[in-house]
Amino acid sequence: MSGGSWARLSTDAFTVAFFAYLIGMLASFHHLAFRRKPVWVLAMAATAVGVAAHLCSIVGRGIAAGRIPLGNMYEYSLLLAFLVVVAYLVLVEGVGRVRTVGGFVLAFAVITMAVAVLFLYVGPEPLIPALNSYWRQIHVGSMIVSSSLLALGSVITILYLVKERHERRVAATTPPIMGGSVHLEDAPPHFEAGADEPAVSTGPARRGLLPPAATLDRLAYRTIAFAFPIWTFGIITGAIWAESAWGRYWGWDPKETWSFITWVIFAGYLHARATSGWKGRRAAVIALVGFLSLLITYYAVNLWIVGLHSYAK
Amino acid sequence: MSSAAWSPSSLRRSVAVTWRTLRSMRTALILLLLLALASVAGSLVPQVGVAEARIAAMVRDHPLRARIYESLGLFDVYGSWWFTLIYVLLLVSLAACLGPRLRAFLRNLRSRPTPARELDAMRHYAQIVVPGDPDGAIRRARRVLRRRLFRVSVPNGAPALAADKGLAREGGSLLFHLAFFVLLIGVVWGKGTGFSGQAVIVEGETWTEAHANYDGTVREGRFFGEDHSGIQLRVDDFEATYRATGQPRDFVTRGELLDARGRPVERVEIRVNHPAELGGVRFYQFGYGWAPVIRVERDGVPIADGPIVCTQDAPAELSPLQVPWSCVVRLPTLEPQVGIRFELWPDRRGLLSLLQTGEAMPMLVQYAPVMTFEAFEGDLRADRVQSLGVLDTVAMRRFETGVLGAGETVDLGGGLTVSFPELRQYAVLTVSRDRGLWIVLFAAILILLGLIPALYTSRRRLWVEAEAAGTGAVLKVGGFALQRRSQFEEEFGKVVDELRGASGDRVGA
Repeated sequence: MSGGSWARLSTDAFTVAFFAYLIGMLASFHHLAFRRKPVWVLAMAATAVGVAAHLCSIVGRGIAAGRIPLGNMYEYSLLLAFLVVVAYLVLVEGVGRVRTVGGFVLAFAVITMAVAVLFLYVGPEPLIPALNSYWRQIHVGSMIVSSSLLALGSVITILYLVKERHERRVAATTPPIMGGSVHLEDAPPHFEAGADEPAVSTGPARRGLLPPAATLDRLAYRTIAFAFPIWTFGIITGAIWAESAWGRYWGWDPKETWSFITWVIFAGYLHARATSGWKGRRAAVIALVGFLSLLITYYAVNLWIVGLHSYAK
Repeated sequence: MSSAAWSPSSLRRSVAVTWRTLRSMRTALILLLLLALASVAGSLVPQVGVAEARIAAMVRDHPLRARIYESLGLFDVYGSWWFTLIYVLLLVSLAACLGPRLRAFLRNLRSRPTPARELDAMRHYAQIVVPGDPDGAIRRARRVLRRRLFRVSVPNGAPALAADKGLAREGGSLLFHLAFFVLLIGVVWGKGTGFSGQAVIVEGETWTEAHANYDGTVREGRFFGEDHSGIQLRVDDFEATYRATGQPRDFVTRGELLDARGRPVERVEIRVNHPAELGGVRFYQFGYGWAPVIRVERDGVPIADGPIVCTQDAPAELSPLQVPWSCVVRLPTLEPQVGIRFELWPDRRGLLSLLQTGEAMPMLVQYAPVMTFEAFEGDLRADRVQSLGVLDTVAMRRFETGVLGAGETVDLGGGLTVSFPELRQYAVLTVSRDRGLWIVLFAAILILLGLIPALYTSRRRLWVEAEAAGTGAVLKVGGFALQRRSQFEEEFGKVVDELRGASGDRVGA
């Protein structure tokens, strides 16, 4: 096949993956609300199709460009979304056995891919000399892997905050003897089913479908703690690369600065987890600030702030 | 201020309070977040050494704002006193926190696990019956735990043991934090004793590493001992290659490195991502440009002869490849003085395209290069500060313009001729020395090495007591983990299973 047809395959596979994730996302939300097993199976199947197509898209792109597809923001976004979904499948579905987070993670992947194709698309082209280094694969690879994990951890953190707030409210408004329902008057007929069984879909009860806050908290922490050393490694390899390409390992270029800011904030998060009075909600807020900083590091620096990393656009 | 307020005891008390505050995790956390916040400021306001042009624009367009920023140090955030204050406070707080932790860790490392009582009150507890006497059961338990890499101590007298595991967590954490001091030393020493600047070297010329030879200013560290190396680099050839789309493919500077006495050391090819190094001084490919050789003669006697470095001032909407290069030749010895302004088109087709269609064409290769020139006479005003590439024509009169192709000569009148025998290129190289590089790399590796056990291992403790019961012994096992408790539950179960298995047969729980 010629480079052109590989490029076409890549964009077609991208479209398939995008819509598969979209279906998976809707099915996951449906499952979150109504807990129908077949819908969960559908969500997983759509996600699996999406991952397969996504992989085809990345590989096709690499062959079309004749290099490892980590040369510009479109390619980074492609891999980022892929790794977020894979990390979700492995860590959350596989290790954590939590089945209710999927819709949110897929939403993140769908948004990332939409932004990539709408604002960041460039054709498969060879690289400029500054990018032509084996450090590129190592640095960009570790940055994307850790970004995807940090993004996953942040999605879970948001869910944790929602759930934690709900649990606090329930604890405040319900006499302990009554179990989990908030509105006793309009308690559903199957209320006797037990506190761990979800009630009908009233607002707060729908939120009750999420796993317990403690589970989400632990999952978020593990994911971020997993990502942090990889992010650190990414900054270090970036510094080594900068040393050989630009003659200094650190120059406060906007991208460098923001990756440092993100690092500092997540370091703050890890410390907050070990500080009394900062655990739980406060730490979660720090993680979300870190996520915001991650998004700025990833998007804003390339799109709006001029610096040495601007070519990665 | 009264002397009572500053009595030694109250001073000591306030020092103690300050010290305690500095040591607290909360302070460290706030300082960390402050550091992040300060860095944000540095990414939003243009910084010295990163975005000089934007600073100049702000000084021009918003002088008041620029003055306020200037006085707050916002143009040089990372070198400002308040940024320094934050990270120095952070490091002091770190030191204050690490001192006692390090002492405790070393004490812990030397001491043996201590015995405990009331095992059944612990988070994890199991009681099993094994055959054999209590001492034998403890010996077997010891073997089991040793195999699982626990540290085990058996106190004298009682049939019991204490075990623990996971010192790597605290060790890793200490290593991670201590590495930042190593990092700081590396950065300060490396930047302080080093230098960094840019060299402009025309093909065929030899450049000597010395303060005066840098293009523009050379940044020398605070503790720099004026020990420039004196090593030399002769550039034989520079080559820039482009793809048909105008995208750069490769930039190579070929030449030879010579030591301070001019003896050849090695041939080098300097590319982006592939610097050359000699005696700790590194040469990085940074940029390039064109240097036409220009010979000016009066009545057949050469008065200027050599390559002239041309520069470019490309507007943002055009690629630098589409824009001609400009340079200036000054002839101060003539009466009146003469200055000639040149515009160089390395590819003649670029000029033709602009003249015919009004469109700038990217010039990727050297192709029948051509220069347009304007010659002025009058006063060069050489006593004023002037930019090298700009001709000050305030006191001059233009007397001739024309076109000069490569290999051609033109007559300016008055016996003055200008010829353009050949076009060369020059390489712009970043030249720097940073002796702290290896310390910084070492510190970075320590940071990573410390981080992994600090995040992924957990500290856990375990105790076993044995009591004689009929023909066998009752083993009481208790323990807890300080981190990763759900995983310890599994591990604890396995340990209990192995203790049971170690006795040969199952007697029930």
